[in-house]
Amino acid sequence: MSNPLFEFARWLQDTSLRLDLSQSTWAVPIIGAIHVLAIAWFGGSVLVNDVRLRRFRWIGISILIFTGALLFWSQPLRLYYSEFFRAKMLFLLLIAVITLLPARHARLAMAVSLALWAGVILASRGIAYR
Amino acid sequence: MPLENSWIFPVVESIHVIGLAAFVGTVVLEDLRTLGLNIPGTRHLKAWTIAGLAAILLTGVVMFLSDPTRYRHNPAFRLKIPLLVLALATQGPLRRFGPRVAAVLSLILWTCVVLAARAIADFDV
Repeated sequence: MSNPLFEFARWLQDTSLRLDLSQSTWAVPIIGAIHVLAIAWFGGSVLVNDVRLRRFRWIGISILIFTGALLFWSQPLRLYYSEFFRAKMLFLLLIAVITLLPARHARLAMAVSLALWAGVILASRGIAYR
Repeated sequence: MPLENSWIFPVVESIHVIGLAAFVGTVVLEDLRTLGLNIPGTRHLKAWTIAGLAAILLTGVVMFLSDPTRYRHNPAFRLKIPLLVLALATQGPLRRFGPRVAAVLSLILWTCVVLAARAIADFDV
């Protein structure tokens, strides 16, 4: 009966940080802006696709996950019910699987994950409009 | 124009963000390289940089035209456009101050452009 993801979202919804984040004038705009900046940072290092940029990529993805988690925290239940948010998480999960599995077809994996990243961005923008 | 209320606007906006990742991403790396960081060049990605810029400008104009009044009165947008012009100038006229100065200005200005852009949605009046 009880869905752990829903329970988690509902628990987050009742935390005081959720209240602080959603009631602050500047918190969500600033965190959102840093999130978008990190997309540019991360996007460039993915396209260049060079081992020397591994650290850049990790910095980018860490900032994305950290700011993304805070943005989720600011409205957990709304996002839990958002189809676009669910699609985005599914795409991210697929990207993680493709990236972490040993690459047998490197170019194919690269093409699929780039397409999935485009899907992630599309779904992200969709969240704001539904 | 009812563009604001259809699925077209989010899609156009998404292409804008994808273009941003390609364009600003490659420009930032090139700037950091100019400043002496040991990272690979992005010259072979020139096509991505140009395609990204084209996508951003095209979708940007489309979004502006969907509701010019909204954007003209939006303080974040009014800040973004001069910053954008200056940021673009770092690729051309501002080079005369030397490649390193241009690279520092480019990093700062593109960061400000992205911050101001994101703030447009937060400053609707």
